[in-house]
Amino acid sequence: MNYRVGLWVLSVLLAIPVGFASDPTEGFRRRMVETQIIQRGISHPATIRALKAVPRHKYVPPEQRRFAYADRPLPIGFGQTISQPYIVAFMTEIIDPKPHYRVLEIGTGSGYQAAILAEIVDRVYTIEIIPALGLRAGEVLDRYYDNVEVKIADGFYGWADAAPFDAIVVTAASGVIPPPLIEQLRDGGRMIIPVGSPYMVQQLMLVTKRGNRIETRNLMPVRFVPFTRN
Amino acid sequence: MRVSNFRQFFALGLHSAAIIAFQISLMQLVSNVQWHHFAYMIISVAMLGFGAAGTALAICREKLLIAANWLIPLLMILSGALMAVVFPITNTELLQFDVFALFTGGWGFTTLVINYLIFFLPLFFGALAIGIIFLIHSNNIGAYYFANLTGSGLGGVLALFFMSWALPLQVSALVGTFSVLSGVMLSDTKTLKQNLVAALLCLMVIGWVAANPGVLRPSSYKDIALTRQIPGTELRIQKPSIYGFVEVLYAPKQRFAPALSLTYQGEAPGGYIIFVNGNYYSHVLNQYPQDNAHILDYTTMKLPFVLGNPQRVLCVNAGSGIGVSHALHHGAAHVDAIIENRKIVSLLKNELSVASGGVLLHPKVEVHPLQTRNFLARTDSNYYDLVILPLLSEFGGGAGLHSLREDYDLTIEAFVQMIRTLRPQGMVSVSTWVDHPPRYSLKLLATLVQAAKKSGFEHPAKHIVALRSWGTITFLLQKTPFADYQLENLRNFSQELLFDPFLMPELLPFERDAFNALSDATLFQKADSIIISSASAINEYSFDISPATDNQPFFSNFVNLGKIPRLLHQFDLGKLPFLELGFFLLLATLAKSIILAVLLIIIPLFVLKKSQANKRRTLLYFSALGLGYMFVEIILIQKFVLYLGQPMYAVVAVVGTMMLSSGFGSLFSQKLLPNWETMGKIGAIILGLLIIKLLILTPLLQHTLAANFATKVVLSLIAIGVPAFVMGMMFPLGIRYLHKHHPAQIPWAWGINACMSVVSTSAATLVSVEAGFQTVILIAILIYLIAAMAFYSPFSKKSTNP
Repeated sequence: MNYRVGLWVLSVLLAIPVGFASDPTEGFRRRMVETQIIQRGISHPATIRALKAVPRHKYVPPEQRRFAYADRPLPIGFGQTISQPYIVAFMTEIIDPKPHYRVLEIGTGSGYQAAILAEIVDRVYTIEIIPALGLRAGEVLDRYYDNVEVKIADGFYGWADAAPFDAIVVTAASGVIPPPLIEQLRDGGRMIIPVGSPYMVQQLMLVTKRGNRIETRNLMPVRFVPFTRN
Repeated sequence: MRVSNFRQFFALGLHSAAIIAFQISLMQLVSNVQWHHFAYMIISVAMLGFGAAGTALAICREKLLIAANWLIPLLMILSGALMAVVFPITNTELLQFDVFALFTGGWGFTTLVINYLIFFLPLFFGALAIGIIFLIHSNNIGAYYFANLTGSGLGGVLALFFMSWALPLQVSALVGTFSVLSGVMLSDTKTLKQNLVAALLCLMVIGWVAANPGVLRPSSYKDIALTRQIPGTELRIQKPSIYGFVEVLYAPKQRFAPALSLTYQGEAPGGYIIFVNGNYYSHVLNQYPQDNAHILDYTTMKLPFVLGNPQRVLCVNAGSGIGVSHALHHGAAHVDAIIENRKIVSLLKNELSVASGGVLLHPKVEVHPLQTRNFLARTDSNYYDLVILPLLSEFGGGAGLHSLREDYDLTIEAFVQMIRTLRPQGMVSVSTWVDHPPRYSLKLLATLVQAAKKSGFEHPAKHIVALRSWGTITFLLQKTPFADYQLENLRNFSQELLFDPFLMPELLPFERDAFNALSDATLFQKADSIIISSASAINEYSFDISPATDNQPFFSNFVNLGKIPRLLHQFDLGKLPFLELGFFLLLATLAKSIILAVLLIIIPLFVLKKSQANKRRTLLYFSALGLGYMFVEIILIQKFVLYLGQPMYAVVAVVGTMMLSSGFGSLFSQKLLPNWETMGKIGAIILGLLIIKLLILTPLLQHTLAANFATKVVLSLIAIGVPAFVMGMMFPLGIRYLHKHHPAQIPWAWGINACMSVVSTSAATLVSVEAGFQTVILIAILIYLIAAMAFYSPFSKKSTNP
């Protein structure tokens, strides 16, 4: 009898650290990356690592947590959404982030995109115009990262004090590519931005700065989800 | 004491007016918080309240007839009270539905169903009262149907009257009082006291709602809600109007910047923004006359002023006058500005005159609150140097949710009219956002090419140039071929502002994407094929980019049933609705209506299984009437929107005239014998009138488009009123026929008619999108042929004549 009780106690003691160590959402993330990201052609190793590491469910409102790893955008309040995982991966890969990069993000929203970037680059500066969203995202990001700075401000003017940036990620739709952002982009830097009327389907656009020359490349239409061809 | 006949007619008319006015006010409310397609969707289901009332009558006929004396007034009073409260109930945080929630998970579907049920209630109770009255007086149905139709016709006018001065949330409450009053009027001495108490309680509720209308809670994805989220935004003006609820926000951080050149170094202007029914209408900019450079000079929209020096300019759908100020900035001597919405004209001339730089009050500017086509029909040939259309998607002509709105300003016929008004060097300028997959730009080009050919230009490619920035494309169509110096100017302007020439003679491939690359070459390849009039380039494309015509003026719809398999092959099913939501909502509405209509018709069939034969004929006859009448009504609305020039007036004129004329037809039918011969003859007359309509209506309206208003009113009354008068006889004749032969089928027949009316609304829209308005008339002819023959006795085993 004592032998059995001892065995039971031992097994419970062994199970506790195992239980604490394993993250039940890790499997969801792995599946998300395999089925939604890699299968759709994202191959940037750092981006894939970051998507596997960042707990997306921490960045969505409690009532949406059960859908956190689903292949779709989710409402986060204030008429805003957390982008579909593929869009986040696509926007991250397209700026080709390197460990030494300083990246500016316009439109913090949930904070998820900033967290993905923070996993890869040296420093992330992120600006949110809606105070409630910015404060909420700032709290979550503070918990996990010390290389992210959040500011509540109008993203049109960028973050002049921290410029120049190696890359800029704009997540809010705009009818204009703000001149201050182009100015704050380092020579050779890349900016990804959804453009078009803020009240319509937008186009995801890559802006590249080469000296005085600025080039744009139209990538894909988006409205919560990308309209990529199969 | 029995209630007098006059009081019954009057109360029935008043109650019918309230029901129609409630539906119109509900549509406006739902359009404000959601989008207008969803408003149609929810109304179509709510309208099935009529069908459900028919079902209830068929099942509980005897019990309801016994209780009629006290039940009818009570149902009317209840219906009136519910009209006032249903929307405020759904306008709460708990029950608010959001159409995009259907695609993003959560409680979207559940709240949708709850909303349906809530909106269904006032119409169900209201319709049940009407149904019981019809059932009691089925032998004298012509007179009662007259009261019902006349009231319904006037209900539209009543709704517009309220909408012109009351807040949207007050309108539905105010119309509810009419149903409450009708209930009191129908109370006899036995029930008067209790009904008065009930009515007083209901009127107190209605009064409270009208006095405390609260605030509309639009979807968080609606344009106005998105703008409100931006700090510093303030609501400055709210104006009820028959054109929609107009709101003006001051939003300094929501900037007007239609794809500004990357060379632009200034601050993009923000400020006042006008919204109509919660949808973005236009920014209001103070741009003229003090500015050195106009904001549009940094966009592709400057192109006509680079290639020419226009003196007489026409701004079509001038919005808040930004295009007008642009033309003045470039030295135009006279600008005609077409702005249909009179409320917005008034705002820009008064409350917003400073914010808009007083542009509409400028001595060189003349504002025309008309529909474009009407204005063009009255304009001399060889008059303008430049006709400017707004950036597509602005001023309510946009994509997705706006896709099934007809747009007569962007059809081949419209461009031919514009070209006619141009002087020899004159140009038409039209711009669109760059879209991907390309649809707007290609459909616009296809329409321009066909318009050029119809205007006698042998080589459209020599008359059309286009310039592309990172965000917009501007097309110019010139009456004479473009000269070499103009093409040189275009190239220089492109270089200067980092734009790319998109279409022009002798364009070199590398010039096309020197600054702004595209993800694939589809846009270039298709445009090159379309400009040489290649039909296969249009037919083989995944989206419908065929030129828009007056027969199919749905410029912003790029999907049709035939294209769906190909689209599904290219895109996931889940993504398509985001791209072309309007068309898929229409399909969903039609599917829902059919399913519910079948349920509402089949249930009573089981109840009626013991009754006599001819159920199939009853089903056929009343289904055909429900479908046919609405098909004709919808086609007339579409035709007369263009003809009368004011969409809201056109709807009221068509619906009102049809209802009133049909009401008189119904009254007249009381003199006719209700047998299959009469019904056959009346059906044949309707067929004849519809065939005449098919043959001559379009040319008649086209030839008299420029006629004076009085002539147009007389022609409209004849074109709408005469067929409607005859069509109005069919339903009461059918009911009286059933009264004699199969009285148990009357409520069922009434329900069938109502259900099919709902189905036909979305079915007619689908047919017009797919095959054009002429096909809708053809189908209406076939439907009335079925109605005319439904009770034809040689098809019956036993004589159906009395």
